[in-house]
Amino acid sequence: MRNRTSLSSELLPGTLEMLILKTLTRGPAHGYAVARHLERVSGDVLRVGESSLYPALQRLLVNDWVQAEWGESELKRRARIYRITPAGRKRLAQEAQGFERMTGAIAAVMAGV
Amino acid sequence: MWARLRNKLRFLFRRERFDRELSEEMDLHREMLELEQTRQGIAPEAAAVSARRQLGNTMLAREYSREVWIIAWLDTLAADVRYALRTIAGNRTFGALAILSLALGIGANTAIYSFMDSILLRSLPVPDPESLVVLNWHAKDTRRDFVMQGMSGTTYDDPKTGTAAGIFPFPAFELFRKDDTVFSSVFAHCQSWQVRRLNVTIRGQSDLAAGWNVSGDYFRGLGIPPAAGRLIIPDDDRAGAPAVAVVSHAFSQRRFGGAANAAGQSILIDNLPFTVVGVTPREFFGVDPAAAPDVYLPMHTNELLGAGHQFGFRPEDYLAPNYYWVQVMGRLRPGVSPARAEAALAPAFRQWVAGTAANDRERANLPELVVKEGAGGLDSLRRQYSQPLYVLMTLVGLILALTCANVANLLLARAAARRREIALRLSVGAGRLRIVRQLLTESVLLASLGGALGVLVAIWGMRFLTLLLANGRTSYTLHAELNWHVLGVAAALSLLTGILFGLAPAMHATRVDLMPALKEARAGQPTARHSSWRISMSHVLVVGQIAISLLMLVAAGLFVRTLSNLQSIELGFNRENVLLFQLDARKAGHRDPEIGAFYADLRKRFSAIPGVRSASLERDSLIQGEHGLPIGLSGSPPNPANRFLTVGPAFFTTMQIPILAGRDFEESDRPGSPAVAVINEVFAKANFGDRNPLGQHLTLREAGEGDRLARDMEIVGVSRNARYGGLTRAIPPVVYMPYDQGYPQPDQMVYALRTSGDPLRYVNSVREIARQADARVPVSEVRTQAADIDQTINQEIAFAELCSGFAILALVIAGVGLYGTVSYNVARRTGEIGIRMALGAQRGGVVRLVLREVLVLVAGGLAIGMAAALGTSKFVASFLYGMKANDPLTLTLALMTLLGTALVAGYAPARKASRIDPMIALRQE
Repeated sequence: MRNRTSLSSELLPGTLEMLILKTLTRGPAHGYAVARHLERVSGDVLRVGESSLYPALQRLLVNDWVQAEWGESELKRRARIYRITPAGRKRLAQEAQGFERMTGAIAAVMAGV
Repeated sequence: MWARLRNKLRFLFRRERFDRELSEEMDLHREMLELEQTRQGIAPEAAAVSARRQLGNTMLAREYSREVWIIAWLDTLAADVRYALRTIAGNRTFGALAILSLALGIGANTAIYSFMDSILLRSLPVPDPESLVVLNWHAKDTRRDFVMQGMSGTTYDDPKTGTAAGIFPFPAFELFRKDDTVFSSVFAHCQSWQVRRLNVTIRGQSDLAAGWNVSGDYFRGLGIPPAAGRLIIPDDDRAGAPAVAVVSHAFSQRRFGGAANAAGQSILIDNLPFTVVGVTPREFFGVDPAAAPDVYLPMHTNELLGAGHQFGFRPEDYLAPNYYWVQVMGRLRPGVSPARAEAALAPAFRQWVAGTAANDRERANLPELVVKEGAGGLDSLRRQYSQPLYVLMTLVGLILALTCANVANLLLARAAARRREIALRLSVGAGRLRIVRQLLTESVLLASLGGALGVLVAIWGMRFLTLLLANGRTSYTLHAELNWHVLGVAAALSLLTGILFGLAPAMHATRVDLMPALKEARAGQPTARHSSWRISMSHVLVVGQIAISLLMLVAAGLFVRTLSNLQSIELGFNRENVLLFQLDARKAGHRDPEIGAFYADLRKRFSAIPGVRSASLERDSLIQGEHGLPIGLSGSPPNPANRFLTVGPAFFTTMQIPILAGRDFEESDRPGSPAVAVINEVFAKANFGDRNPLGQHLTLREAGEGDRLARDMEIVGVSRNARYGGLTRAIPPVVYMPYDQGYPQPDQMVYALRTSGDPLRYVNSVREIARQADARVPVSEVRTQAADIDQTINQEIAFAELCSGFAILALVIAGVGLYGTVSYNVARRTGEIGIRMALGAQRGGVVRLVLREVLVLVAGGLAIGMAAALGTSKFVASFLYGMKANDPLTLTLALMTLLGTALVAGYAPARKASRIDPMIALRQE
């Protein structure tokens, strides 16, 4: 078994939100699709549980960074589809910049040892 | 930032939908996960287990999701409020009493202070009211030798400070008008008796209206614009000018259906043609806050209106230097103070008025000019009502104090009762701040509920006060509105009480030493420091409440006894079942001698109404009017103390005044028949002693220089004394004479109908008969004789009712406060009492033990209250009738009532104490 990271408890705060926003730039998606996408792209490293995914989505909603509306899922069932807003894109840009600075800093420290 | 707050607030209203949608979303998520795993070949049951494991704690996910949306402080506040409401509801009696008494305290204070503000502080609704001044004069002596020989208006006599008034002779007004160094304009106005009630006929419809005389530059001086048409200008106010009138905005709406319809209309005023040239602005009510005139007339129209009236205005009054009648106001030039204006004008006035004095005694007591600030208009209202309002203000202030003390005591008791609960919560880790906040929420909630209810009480109170101040006059319009500043202050005060008395025990309660507090059985031993602090504090509050209650009881007792003294005054006539109403045929154009016949015919028609037992008429109602003319025995000089009243046939029968000798007036006493008179006992005794007055002659002379003999009357009857000219005045010597046997000729008349059953049932018949006789003569001031008398003691009635209400409220609050305190003390001493009883104390002994404590508290309160009552009751002495301010009966009654209430309030817990089972009590230790 490969090591898996349970998101939100071990990542830096706000990282999960950033990843969700990034995912949604590909197009509107429901919660399950977002989780699946994160798993797939990270090569199954990032596994997102309900207890972190949904609170994170609420945080995005309350700030108006994403919008949600009810649409139809593949199962022909009502599903809540999330869509990134212009404010969300702006936020994503900020977060991404901050993240790069942070990983750069961490890399520099690690390289220096 | 804002988006977040907005979203969160929106969430407050969609909680349930949020929960439903979230679980739907998460269910779908899980199903998709299961499906995916089944597709990968895992058995369905195993897939479900695995999916659940992968997803983690669903409950937690929901909780976290919800938390994102919640506004933390609002959520805690809501919880606190819910908790506080539960606690208040759990102790309904205390809660209701606290809220209700707070509401009454806040409401009553707001109402009274709003009125104070309207009456004492409000400015006239005109531009730059601060530059207005009112001219007055002051004379140091009130004696009779005075340059003012005749007057129309009001003077204020005070034996200590002398006479003050705001009326001047017209030449004095012209003198002030000449000086343009201090004033930019000087204008005059007055309400002469003949314009007080005008018969205004508009398109054939007659009704009465209140008039006011104004000089030509009155409106220009006040600087107000017309609402329609134009206002009165100087050219309107001269002899021979076309007769014009300006009407108030309210009048234009009532009688013309709008300001625009009024301007330019031709109307009849007292049967004379006038043109309405314009309408005053909506908010304008003249310069006297006590009056709201309907019609403004140029001063010189007095000549028109007075022509042909025996006591009407004569053109020579404009020149008379000793006839005081015009009120003068001025607008100061910028930068001029009232004091400087007074200094500038006083010498000229002094010089002028000295020239009007006839002798040295008049010269020794000349009026001095006084210039007063005029922003608030005339001070008639202030003179009339400030004293009763101060008394009411003190009373409602005391009520508020009582209320606050009550709430404080309630909160103290509650905090003590919850000491153990609080200690428990602290011990399991509740934050101290959190608990303090929770206790505070409760007291603030109590205060807020009380405040909200207080607004309603205030609105109701304002209506009641308007009725009280209007004193039964329907035309009365005082512009008092709910004053939000005052309401704010009263609410803040009660809120402050809530916070102070809620915070103090809350702080104490949360600073407890946990272990002893938890070990306390119920509300255990009085060892803790805070406990004795609470007891002394609550004792102080109870003593204060009893003292205030005693004050209120004394006040109520004094006012109730005053009212009962007034109501038991022997009138000398029967006030029940008499209908009174007023007609003025002269103002509708009737003239001598036809007017007498018109009134006589109406009397016959009114007598014929089925159910009317007898009908008569009089110049004025017995209590509200009073007339004097030179009248006396034939051959001797007239006595100025003598009074007269012109009346119609069957007057004594109708009023049920017994005739002691001779006869009542009859229909045969008419114009042309021998002049007759009936005298009262006082007149008979003063002028005839033991001699028989019947057949003796009286003479009436015309007022004024002429002294012409007007009537030579034979006395045909002696009547029992009846009150005249006031309820509490000593009965003067009175001559009753027929209204239609010469001078003074009849003008207005008050009809009196003695009816079977309720007099007001006959009003419609009366109006119909009057309308048929002459539709131009309106029937006005319809009231019963009883109401006519009550109108003169309206203030006493209101004071007695208000104070009784206040006193009962105070008694209840104090009783409950005492009950609460004693109950708490008994509960606290359960163990001690149990030991005493185990050691053989009798039940009676226990009751006495508790009651002794009650009596100590009550005695303290009564001593303080009695001292305060003795010290302050002299301030209401002028409101009392028939007793001294320190009426011993009232004081004793108040004392006994309060003592009784206290014993009842204390007996319940005392009895409870005596029922304590020693075994149970001791087991609790």
